Amino acid sequence: MKRTYLAEEFIVLTDVVLITCVVQRGMAEEVVQVARQAGAQGATIFYASGTGVRERRLGLLSLAVSPEKEVILIVASTDQADRIFEKMYQAGKLDTPGMGMIYMSPLDKMATHVPKGIVERFAH
Amino acid sequence: MAIKIRYGDYLGLARTHHRVISYNAITSWDASHRRRPHLRSRDIYRLLAPYVGARALEQARAVLPVVLFLVVFQYLLFQGRIAGGAAILSGILAVMLGLMLFMEGLKHGFMPLSENIGHLLPVRATFSGVLTVAFILGAIATFAEPAISALKMAGSLADPGQAPILYQMLNGQTDAVVLTVAASVGLAVLVSAVRFIEGWPFKPVVIIVTLSCLALTAYMTADPALAPIVGLAWDTGAITTGPVTVPMVVALGVGVSAAVGRGGNPLSGFGIVTLASLFPPIGVMLLGIHTAALGEPLPVAAAIGTALATEAGITDHILAALRAIVPLVLILWLIQRFWLREPTRHPDFMAYGVGLAIVGMVAFYVGLGTGLTPLGIQSGNMLSTVLDNGGALYPAGVGLAVALLFALALGFGATLAEPALNALGLTVQTLTDGAFQKSTLIYAVAIGVGLGTALGVLKIIFHIPLAWLLIPAYLLALVMTWLAREEHVNLAWDSAGVTTGPVTVPLVLAMGLGLGQASGARDGFGILAMASVGPIVSVLAVGLWLQTRDRLMRIDLFGHSQ
Repeated sequence: MKRTYLAEEFIVLTDVVLITCVVQRGMAEEVVQVARQAGAQGATIFYASGTGVRERRLGLLSLAVSPEKEVILIVASTDQADRIFEKMYQAGKLDTPGMGMIYMSPLDKMATHVPKGIVERFAH
Repeated sequence: MAIKIRYGDYLGLARTHHRVISYNAITSWDASHRRRPHLRSRDIYRLLAPYVGARALEQARAVLPVVLFLVVFQYLLFQGRIAGGAAILSGILAVMLGLMLFMEGLKHGFMPLSENIGHLLPVRATFSGVLTVAFILGAIATFAEPAISALKMAGSLADPGQAPILYQMLNGQTDAVVLTVAASVGLAVLVSAVRFIEGWPFKPVVIIVTLSCLALTAYMTADPALAPIVGLAWDTGAITTGPVTVPMVVALGVGVSAAVGRGGNPLSGFGIVTLASLFPPIGVMLLGIHTAALGEPLPVAAAIGTALATEAGITDHILAALRAIVPLVLILWLIQRFWLREPTRHPDFMAYGVGLAIVGMVAFYVGLGTGLTPLGIQSGNMLSTVLDNGGALYPAGVGLAVALLFALALGFGATLAEPALNALGLTVQTLTDGAFQKSTLIYAVAIGVGLGTALGVLKIIFHIPLAWLLIPAYLLALVMTWLAREEHVNLAWDSAGVTTGPVTVPLVLAMGLGLGQASGARDGFGILAMASVGPIVSVLAVGLWLQTRDRLMRIDLFGHSQ
């Protein structure tokens, strides 16, 4: 008989938010490192390209802003989210025009590997 | 009972103070208050530092290894001191700065124009229109090639007694030589455009062109008056395929082949580079025959005048840079604006690019004169002292070995540092689905260039006529071309053009001239020519080996060869 390895039940985590941060190509590593120090468990980075409203008004300086970006996705607990958000904002130097942006959006739920000990302790 | 605080609220206490503004409020206000953002000096620094840093690093990575190699080699093996070290160092810094500005200027000032023309021209112009533009583009791109000025520098070192026609061509007729080279490149681009449109395969074209080139070389070598020109002629082929011509001409080629429906293959733009490095030797050799036929000797006074002019001041450099770049941009812009009727999208970016390119070229010229050329000539001179019988450093045989090892390592190292080769390697790896590894290509090309350089040095030391080395090497390449697969052929012939960049060319050229001067050779040309044929043979060899390995593996699998 063919066996399926799907677990009979799986753990869904709530109270999570998604932090999305768009930075200049090459900046993501540094920003992610800071985010991890602030408590983020991991990060997904992908390459993208785009232009912003602000850099079009920079004149010749906009040549220094490459249209190539890195997009960082981090799922964080609501408790940690604000701190991670703030640290990433600083590390990405996002107060400079053309450097990128960051936003946080609520998530209904997320699921991934949850260690057994944790499940026994918190699931009810 | 203990007070309960939510952990998130506790963390929130540590937060930096922030204010909340509604984006709606901004968007309604923003429309009527558009203005440039206020930039603090730290913002400008943050924006510019990575921009400048990345580009400076790129040039440093390309220039420094070769220069360091020359300096270390001179110090350790030749036990010589670098004369005028401070001047040379500042010259090399000027070269790096110049290349950095020039490449960035090229990216913003020229590339948008030539890419537009490449895409739009085949669609909007007639067949003859495409051919005209192909010719003009190829020709004027040659003028803007930074390394072409190295030819002028070479003129001051030719010996009027031993090689009168060569001397005359390099001193009185430098402009004629450059014009000939430009026209040849234009013709090469034109032929390639016809090839794309008619769908001719690359193999027969390259075999016919190379054979006629070799026949002409044999004819020239047989005539003692014409023989010294052979080296110069073949070297111009390596000089023309630099950072301006290659991308511009490839953009055109890709555009044309896409328009006639043979696009999709990034290798389709290849092959042009090969022809652009094979046509100039033919052109220059024909010019040599023409000059010899006219036979009017150059007045000595005029010769001295031009020789002095090689020690040019800054105004001459500025004029030369303007002459190289302004016509190119003007013609590209006119074609785009009035023929293709396409507006310029970012006139300010373009102006910035052209300005950078001009400033960069001036800096490059200054650095070439004070840094690269003296360093190369010194290396060449020192190389010949090692070889001298009276040289106390090494016995004669060891001296020769050291000199050849030096040439081998120089060619090998300079190629590894060439950024264009890295890009080519990546393209090839993707195209062949990993069958031709990037590192395989890079090392194959580097070994080819190294061996070629060593052979070139050997040619100068022992006064071997270039044809004796060049003709067998190219015949070997042709036989291998006949046997190899079409894609390997494209790749092998084009990698030769890609490897000789704007730093390697002047350095190697000056080294050859210095060596020739010190060892009493008739001319110091030919090293670049040998360094160009080397990678063709080595890459074809790798290609053939891959083919054979495929066949052997098939035999293993099925037990028989069919």
